Amino acid sequence: MQPLLALVDCNNFYVSCERVFRPDLIGKPVAVLSNNDGCIVARSKEVKDLGVKMGVPLFQIQQLVNQHQIKLFSSNYCLYADMSARVMATLEEFAPNLEVYSIDEAFLDLTGVCHRDPIAYGQRIRKAVVRATGIPVCVGMGPTKTLAKLANFAAKKWLKTEGVLNLSDPVRREKLMRIVPVGEVWGIGSRTTAKLNQLGIQSVWDLASQPSKRIHSQFNVVVARTVLELNGIPCLELEEMTPDKQQIVCSRSFSRRLTDYSELSQALAEFCSRAAEKLRWQHSVTGCVTVFIRTSPFNPQEPQYQRSASIKLDAATQDTRTLTTTANRLLTEIFKTGYNYQKCGVQLSHIQPETTPGQLELFDFADSSLPEENRPLMAVMDNINRRFPKKLSVAATGFDKSWKPKAERVSPRYTTDWRELAVVKVTRKK
Amino acid sequence: MTLIKTETRGGARPNAGRKKGSSVYGESTQAIRVPESLIPTVKALLDGRKTQFEQLASNSAAILFPAKTPGVCKLPLFGGKVAAGFPSPADDYVEKSLDLNELLVQKPAATFFVRAQGESMLGAGIHPNDILVVDRSIDPVPGKIVICALNGELTVKRLERADGQWQLKAENPAYTDIVIYEALELVIWGVVTNVIHAL
Repeated sequence: MQPLLALVDCNNFYVSCERVFRPDLIGKPVAVLSNNDGCIVARSKEVKDLGVKMGVPLFQIQQLVNQHQIKLFSSNYCLYADMSARVMATLEEFAPNLEVYSIDEAFLDLTGVCHRDPIAYGQRIRKAVVRATGIPVCVGMGPTKTLAKLANFAAKKWLKTEGVLNLSDPVRREKLMRIVPVGEVWGIGSRTTAKLNQLGIQSVWDLASQPSKRIHSQFNVVVARTVLELNGIPCLELEEMTPDKQQIVCSRSFSRRLTDYSELSQALAEFCSRAAEKLRWQHSVTGCVTVFIRTSPFNPQEPQYQRSASIKLDAATQDTRTLTTTANRLLTEIFKTGYNYQKCGVQLSHIQPETTPGQLELFDFADSSLPEENRPLMAVMDNINRRFPKKLSVAATGFDKSWKPKAERVSPRYTTDWRELAVVKVTRKK
Repeated sequence: MTLIKTETRGGARPNAGRKKGSSVYGESTQAIRVPESLIPTVKALLDGRKTQFEQLASNSAAILFPAKTPGVCKLPLFGGKVAAGFPSPADDYVEKSLDLNELLVQKPAATFFVRAQGESMLGAGIHPNDILVVDRSIDPVPGKIVICALNGELTVKRLERADGQWQLKAENPAYTDIVIYEALELVIWGVVTNVIHAL
């Protein structure tokens, strides 16, 4: 049986999340800003139609924003993560195997599930997701992941597809590939595109018609695989098990430049707290801590400095205090006065599953100068913070949070905080 | 290097073998007996030490190490249950405790909580500030209490059908009913399944 994979991708995901709870914004121009409210990271169709490109800094389009009253939101990651989990849970009912590919897209293995009428099945998926979550999605199908991705691109672009397209048929495939530029293919970046264009390869069809061996020798194995995948030969498998994160990174750009060691250290302590929470959430411990600091690369006239330092822990830990102390030691190693720091962060690696709570492995030597691992204490902290967000933190995080990135236009956390639920009103008698 | 010749066979030969402290761990080593069950643990520990030393030796500038002197050495308790005392007579009856989610939430992915504001639904038992459990996946059929998006606002009404027309009724005589002309699915946001009302 020919394999059938589907890529389900949410339409303008962040914007759609905001609109679920703000029906008044349906049909109006809406955009979502990056961390620190700097750049546009999600655009409604209306905003795209105004010519606003992905990733542009807000100040560059301020006039358009005013003129067309574009509704702007700061990123509300709590909301987006929760809505994403809902979309994925709904999709799970439609396929025996599913790979969550990113916050707003998933590959579904539909082989043998709907060979009679894949399009109708795709429509059922669309209806179920929008019904359950309010998030509109498009479904692209094909015998390989790359074709499913391409089908999804086309399903989004051409309204005639009604959001579902199947590229299992080679004739239809060729027709589409001839009109789509090669740069739209999954995994073909701008540099590869430029090189392909130089060789006269303009459309997806041009690339698919190349012998993969030749492409392998002129480019690399990734592009060669793409050629095979475009011809319906699967090279990329569905990766179902999303392993626990092997790395946890917590970092932010500051709302203003920091110059003081103590300020940086407080911000860093906060990132450590977040990272440690994530670690405990997935029941892991970390064996290696990395700290990095840097000045703004966008201000070349200022003196530039960036440095990172890592340490391998003798005993793997998930204790906020241990991580904070360790990170602070690293910071003292790399901190230099006289620079305007724009960003700092902590990265945890060598992540492994936690062993029996509160017990160290035989021969684990705890560094006596570090706080003793105290899992019950951490559990209490997590419980309190889950009920009363951000109520409890280690003292090292300090009180002055003015370095925090700007998020002035953030919407309520409708689905993750009891105090911020959506309000349903009553329309008065006229 | 001078070769020292000896008359006798066997015995110690000066300078033979590994140099002191030249092991893969960067210090002298000693043979010990290890219980078989602990061999993997000990091996893993030693491997860790080895790579740690190797990394130190390769001296990558970014890697710093904390003090090596082990302060406390913790040993795990022996595993396995020890039978002691009289077994609890309730052991056979242990079941999970009741979870309100089971009662209130059928489809977690499609269930949302919203807060009611205003007094139009007192007749349906919905009071101001109550939390409504809304399931978006349930079919909106006549008689259901629904959340609808009317004029861009989320409102709560009872869905009715009369004379082939869908109607949104307020359960409070002071408010008007609304007739739906557009496609129903565009208007209905979700179906209210439960009300959480604090007394």
